Amino acid sequence: MHDEPTAAGLATTPRAGGSGGVGDNARSWLVWGGTAVAFGVLIWWILTQMSLTAFFAQILNGLSFGAVLFFLASGFTLIFGLMRITNLAHGGFYLVGGYIGISVVRATGSFFLAMLVSALAIMVLGLFTERVLLRPIRGLEKPEVLLTIGLTFILGDMSLAIWGGDPTPIPKPDFLNGALDIGGFVYPRYRVFVIACAVVVGAILFWVEKRTRWGAMVRAGVDDRETVAALGINIKAVFTGAFMFGAFLAGFAGVIGGAFLTLLPGQDFEVLLFALAVVIIGGLGSLKGAALGVVIVGLIDSFGKALIPELSFFTLFAPMAIILVLRPRGLLGRE
Amino acid sequence: MLRSISLTGRVKLGLAVAGLAFGVAAPYVFDRFVIGLISLALIAGLFAQSIDLLGGYAGLITLGHAGVSGTAAYGVGYMAAKVGAGFPAQIGMGLLAGMTASLIFGVMAMRSDGVYFIMVTLAQGMIVWGLSIRLFRITGAENGLTGIPRPPSVELYWQYYYLTLAVVVVSWILLGIIVNSPFGVSLKGLRESETRMRMLGYNTTGQKLYVFLLAGFFATLSGILLVYLNGFISPSTVILAASAIGVLEAILGGIGTLVGPMIGAFIIVFVQNVVSIYVARWPTLMGLLFVVVVLFARRGLVGAISDGWNRWLDRRGASTPQEPILTSSNQATGP
Repeated sequence: MHDEPTAAGLATTPRAGGSGGVGDNARSWLVWGGTAVAFGVLIWWILTQMSLTAFFAQILNGLSFGAVLFFLASGFTLIFGLMRITNLAHGGFYLVGGYIGISVVRATGSFFLAMLVSALAIMVLGLFTERVLLRPIRGLEKPEVLLTIGLTFILGDMSLAIWGGDPTPIPKPDFLNGALDIGGFVYPRYRVFVIACAVVVGAILFWVEKRTRWGAMVRAGVDDRETVAALGINIKAVFTGAFMFGAFLAGFAGVIGGAFLTLLPGQDFEVLLFALAVVIIGGLGSLKGAALGVVIVGLIDSFGKALIPELSFFTLFAPMAIILVLRPRGLLGRE
Repeated sequence: MLRSISLTGRVKLGLAVAGLAFGVAAPYVFDRFVIGLISLALIAGLFAQSIDLLGGYAGLITLGHAGVSGTAAYGVGYMAAKVGAGFPAQIGMGLLAGMTASLIFGVMAMRSDGVYFIMVTLAQGMIVWGLSIRLFRITGAENGLTGIPRPPSVELYWQYYYLTLAVVVVSWILLGIIVNSPFGVSLKGLRESETRMRMLGYNTTGQKLYVFLLAGFFATLSGILLVYLNGFISPSTVILAASAIGVLEAILGGIGTLVGPMIGAFIIVFVQNVVSIYVARWPTLMGLLFVVVVLFARRGLVGAISDGWNRWLDRRGASTPQEPILTSSNQATGP
């Protein structure tokens, strides 16, 4: 195959940014040491506030919420990394996906069918968004963002018109109901399932990104779109594919998250805020950044809600502010 | 004297005088309801102008500006409804709250640009909203703060209207001085290329913080005017839609001008109030308007009118160059 060497060449393209080893060593040790000490003090303080069992339960709560965010943030970051499109409609995709899931579960009783149908339906919505709405203003970053926020209002209001405003949980399949008992530590089965799903999907995404031709094209596209296009790869098709895949994951997230976070009007913006916090903290455009971000944001949110419920949103604010001032592109973002 | 001003200048002057005369005469012509709407539109226009100072002049589009004006409004409301302080203390607290929020948000956002700036400000606005519904002791949560009387000499609706008109006109003049000052011109440089401005020796980070504080000041004024107009403040004042409507008004009227946001605000406020009588789906209409304006009318009404005007002048032999605003791409400055 004539393009085999190209793909191999692309696959070995060194990735810029990340941990960039040129920094001052002593300073970097100081930063990491300081972070470790601050972290230790924080954990010690938390443990004075709650029992060890509660502590582990909160960690799992944080990770399961983070798992839902991972499906959202990984697609969001992929779309941004490739196309520089900030898809603020991602929260709307999540909400509509969840509501479609409810309708499917009500009609067929199958939770897994609902996951598939929702994800596919939102994928089609993504196709429409990218091809019809965003294509005419391709490359105009700010109009693109504003268009997607307008789309979110439409999606949210239409959901309200179709599915009503009552908070609705998606019924879970029977075998995921109830609690899991591990040596006296009791925890809801469904949340463990969500974490497992995110780990599996995350592993697949990392594998695809690192090891497959598709991943090589995406990575190359992130690094240098013009060259990729010049090499004869249909970059527009890659864009559309990535946008649809991101939408697919958002629809999937709507069903998997809607089953334990319940769906209600306005949640599109709430999950959007969390997804933004993830990419602002973790760094935009990198899968690793999204994975790190969801763990941090999930844990901050769950411990914040448990310890200072009045300020539950606000707990995201301080870490975001610190990171924005020190590292405007996020922890693992590229400069 | 009029001879020394260009034809365009004379037309603008004439329109300004006519607009002001209309503003002063309005209470003699219209009833209480319409005057209330005009007051609301003037306040919304001031808010949209302050968004435009950031978005249209400096190229920093914000989706969290209602977080600033709302914080100011909550400052007034807290002193009035919870503390029971006098009017100077209420207004002082409103200014203090609004400017503190501007400073914190500005420092957080000053190192980002383009879509990052949009994301950061969106998150900021959402966090203010989160606090408004959860910080019960200060904000009264979902119910908000009610029973906020107007100061004695502007109690009646037409008295308050004249106060609003005066504040808006003075602010407009101040904004005009700002955007035509050397600093205002340097903002346009920031919009076109931050990298080049930095190379020319400008401290772009400082510039951004400074313009954020200025815009925050006018947003603060609009927040204080709004809370006394309504007599209450609730979380719906600080939702994302409130910030987004401000951006929509600025673009619809004509971004990068001061008269555009005001026209946009009048259109949106009156359309919203008329439409809400007939249909319940205002958010959908707003979303559609967003999409349509972004796709087809990025230069707004003022842009379209000035294009037509310039074509007419061209035929008479004189021409003025135009500047692209939302049409310019930021691809080159991306990471």
